[in-house]
Amino acid sequence: MKLYDVKLLTITCEILAQKNVIDILKNHEITGYTSYEVDGNGEKGLRGQGIQAEKNVKVEVIMREEKLSAVIEDISRTLFPDFTIILYVSDVGVVRTEKF
Amino acid sequence: MDILELIQSNLLTPIILFFLFGIIAARIKSDLKIPEAISEFLPIYLLAAIGLHGGIEMRKTGFEEMLVPMLVAIGLSLLFTLNHYQILRRLGKFNIFDSYALASTYGAVGAVTFSVGLSFLKNQGVTSEGYLAAILAVLEPVAFILAIFLTNMAVSKQIRTKKQSFSGDKVSDIDMGMKETKTKLSQVLKESITGKAIVILLGSIVIGYIIGEEGFEPISIVFDDLFTGAIVIFMIEMGIIAGQRLEDIKKVGVFLTSFAIIMPTINGIIGVLVSTALGLSLGGAVMFGLLLASASFIAAPAVLRHAIPQANPSLYITSALGITFPYNIIVLLPIMFTVSTWVHGEEAIDLFNYVTRVFI
Repeated sequence: MKLYDVKLLTITCEILAQKNVIDILKNHEITGYTSYEVDGNGEKGLRGQGIQAEKNVKVEVIMREEKLSAVIEDISRTLFPDFTIILYVSDVGVVRTEKF
Repeated sequence: MDILELIQSNLLTPIILFFLFGIIAARIKSDLKIPEAISEFLPIYLLAAIGLHGGIEMRKTGFEEMLVPMLVAIGLSLLFTLNHYQILRRLGKFNIFDSYALASTYGAVGAVTFSVGLSFLKNQGVTSEGYLAAILAVLEPVAFILAIFLTNMAVSKQIRTKKQSFSGDKVSDIDMGMKETKTKLSQVLKESITGKAIVILLGSIVIGYIIGEEGFEPISIVFDDLFTGAIVIFMIEMGIIAGQRLEDIKKVGVFLTSFAIIMPTINGIIGVLVSTALGLSLGGAVMFGLLLASASFIAAPAVLRHAIPQANPSLYITSALGITFPYNIIVLLPIMFTVSTWVHGEEAIDLFNYVTRVFI
């Protein structure tokens, strides 16, 4: 089966930044994403335990390459200075390219 | 009873013992923890119980009585927030964002602290005015709104002065700053009013008001008899979280640590005295003081992280949860109770003599 090349943007961030991330996606007309709660260790220490507001989430978004750099630029500009956030991009293949 | 004696006997109540136990459990790195669903459920339960009681009491007393104390509480909360800001900014040398975030954390109220206060009074066999639950609901967003408003004003002022030095360059940025302020404020207002804490609290007050004493009878086993027990379970969780943060307290610094103890004491005692002057009962004055003394640690991060993201959350969470909360429930509650007993008792008439005796 033919697979089409698209990009997977993965954002691991504190739960309170999730809304900002999704708002940015929405501004770029991206409505589809998957998110789940995660925990882990990093620069800010062990996260994901204790109070609800200090949990981490992982947001996964599949998008076409054209939108990618604008989205990443928005996220880096507005969220990197103040929030616990890591993002990375990977190449993935999808069957139905019209969905993205 | 002597203050020290009262603190001592307060230390030996199940609420405090389980809190300390939770701290120890966290320190020895036990994997003990309260399941997430339960620790999320308990604050809702506590607020529902507080609201129901408040509503039932308000049905007896009516609304007129509550108006003046409520307005005074709002006024004091705003005043204290401004005062905190000045202290933190000028004496503590915190940056503007941390100062406002901390100021509003300490100007806001803590629902868990309020629950512990109610159960403390129950233990002492004292009741308090039911409308204090309504004041709790109203006070919740007040300090945050003020701090967010002032922060945004300060930021847009900075932008404006910067723009002026570039003279006439891109005026739209200022408008953007102002617009952002407005949307942020209305967002915060909307989010806190529709937030779960206020919704469940106000909803329960209304339901309590409608059902009254007789309607409460069949559900009293859940919302009255289980109240203190539920707090005890929640205290294990609070203890564990506070215990995990003990290391962070070192990072908070001496200034903020003393701020986290001294400010609640001053605010609380002012609250007790003012509310006594307003005619609140012995227990009511303690709860009023506690409202002003408590710091928010459940609502604060959720609100402030969005509204003032530049502020460092570990500062305001650690100081409110790790220092002020234990201090309030272990030490300050008995102190305020004693103060309230003084000003309500026969010695009340002699209060000024007492004060002059102590200070001269």
